[in-house]
Amino acid sequence: MKRITIDPITRLEGHGKIEIFLTDVGDVENVYFQVPELRGFEKFCEGRPVEELSRIVTKICGVCPGCHHMASGKAIDGVFGLTPPPTGRKIRELFYMAHFVHSHTAHFYALAAPDFVMGPTADPAERNILGVIAKVGKEVGLEVLKQRRLAQEVQASLGGHQTHVVLNIPGGVRKGVTIEQRDQFLEIGKGFVDFAKFSLQLFRDVVLANNDYVNMILEGPYNLKIHSMGLVDKNNHVNFYDGKIRVVDTEGKELYKYKASEYLEYVSERVEPWTYLKIPYLKKIGWKGFVEGQDSGVYHATPLSRLNAADGMSTPLANEAYQEMFKTFGGKPVHATLAMHWARLIELLYAAEHFTQLAKDPDITGTELRAEPKEIVGEGIGVVEAQRGTLTHHYWTDSRGLVKKVNIIVGTTNNNAAICMSLKKAAQHLIHAGVSVDQGILNQIEMAFRAYDPCFSCATHSLPGQMPLIVNFRDPEGNILRSVKRD
Amino acid sequence: MLVLGIGNDILTDDGIGPVLVRDLSELNNNPDVRFETASMGGLDLMELMSGYEKVILIDAFRSREGIPGTVYFLRPDDFRETMNLSSLHDISFLTALSLAGKLNYPVPRDIVIIAVEILEDRVFSNVFSEPLQEKYPRILKEVSEYLVSECVFNE
Repeated sequence: MKRITIDPITRLEGHGKIEIFLTDVGDVENVYFQVPELRGFEKFCEGRPVEELSRIVTKICGVCPGCHHMASGKAIDGVFGLTPPPTGRKIRELFYMAHFVHSHTAHFYALAAPDFVMGPTADPAERNILGVIAKVGKEVGLEVLKQRRLAQEVQASLGGHQTHVVLNIPGGVRKGVTIEQRDQFLEIGKGFVDFAKFSLQLFRDVVLANNDYVNMILEGPYNLKIHSMGLVDKNNHVNFYDGKIRVVDTEGKELYKYKASEYLEYVSERVEPWTYLKIPYLKKIGWKGFVEGQDSGVYHATPLSRLNAADGMSTPLANEAYQEMFKTFGGKPVHATLAMHWARLIELLYAAEHFTQLAKDPDITGTELRAEPKEIVGEGIGVVEAQRGTLTHHYWTDSRGLVKKVNIIVGTTNNNAAICMSLKKAAQHLIHAGVSVDQGILNQIEMAFRAYDPCFSCATHSLPGQMPLIVNFRDPEGNILRSVKRD
Repeated sequence: MLVLGIGNDILTDDGIGPVLVRDLSELNNNPDVRFETASMGGLDLMELMSGYEKVILIDAFRSREGIPGTVYFLRPDDFRETMNLSSLHDISFLTALSLAGKLNYPVPRDIVIIAVEILEDRVFSNVFSEPLQEKYPRILKEVSEYLVSECVFNE
């Protein structure tokens, strides 16, 4: 075995970086966040039978394959003019709740908690999950691993594979739930709920009980007054799988509520020369630039925006937690970016409770798994809430069901403008003439976009886990003054 | 023992790990070895490896002066990153291993990473880039000879 020393190129390099433009006196003028592009997905799909797409799209992204699988399954239903029967739909939702438990657990404990348990400016060598475990105890770490593993096993059990899911077929699902599986899921669901309750209590104890953190959330640079988007059910409660898309303004008043099939009337995408990632905005307001406020077209689609856009949660414990959060903030909507971590844990509790509700539902072991395809409508739109934002798949086919065109708006893309603006606010607050930019400042800038749980995998595949944050400081003419990199 | 190919087989050369594992499994004559593919890093990968004594990971890799098709045989201590051992939504693979150590989580004591230098991983395609297509038979031979030398399977 040869030992070598190589400096690997990561996918972040080249295009994936933060560019900070300084004024003549050294204050922050502007900030750009750039990510690399993957090419050719639409071409790859063209000419394929549309029913293959729900399997292919799980390979766009190793982070949220289940979300793409769900949105794709719904779009394919539309292409064939099908509505899944109750059992088929509920099995899909059961799978999807486990997907949320898995993802939200990973984000909170591995990515968010280090900033609060260890502190935003703590030594990077300690500000990680290892530091968190050292502080909160090994038994918590083992419980995190256990619940994540169980959520993964549920997905594999229902979906055939933990990431390359093959659950959905046109009009429903390929396989039912046995009585034995149902009994296992009921037991697992109890554990999910207990774990979500524990995680929320940990947040209260570590974050809300610390005045410095509360001040940072409420009064620091992490506030952004923009509109909020989220899927809601008929009672205007948060729904991850289906419903109408509701947008509330910066004051919490409903702006729009529309069907998934109408998304092109409400959302448009802008292209900027400095980034490959498109910038969606509210079409009826129009693009007014990277600005906050009631007249801005900028919105976000995040756990916090979903809670802002809804009137409550459909499960009892999550609804209590929902009321508690807004009461603490003094009402709705909340514009504190770091409150996304709290909202994410409320969603974790909702996913856990709803998983249990679905497992208890007599329909879940039913045998009518799908509606049979009889015609090809030729166009289908599927919208779900991915962990990191509203996810839209839109397919067009010919009369044989072969793909002609594909349009996908991924969760994080919705938040592109908001992420750029949050980064700029954090940088302007933290960097001034004469301030030495250290690892603590870099991390506090990174916290501004970590809250969004950004995943550029859909557009960029995988990036390194502990992100080598590259920050270039440029003078007003664009010349690099210096670069700072955090490995 | 587990031989795990990680990567995305519809992202040009990124699929080198899964494709190699598919072909190596055809050569395998040892019933005690499992051949799997995955597209995950960090904690997910750690959990997938749990319970095995030895794991050989095969992944894509890019370096600054690298020649596509070059095969590196590494240990976890030897490297910072290959293409798929981490994701933005997860901790790095090395951190995951450290975490497992702290929690006495059962991970393999013996881990080898076979990294193959690639050219293209930003274009959706299920066909390798030309240099990798051309060198693939040699890469397969080199990796399979290594597995024989490590007694994973016999010639």
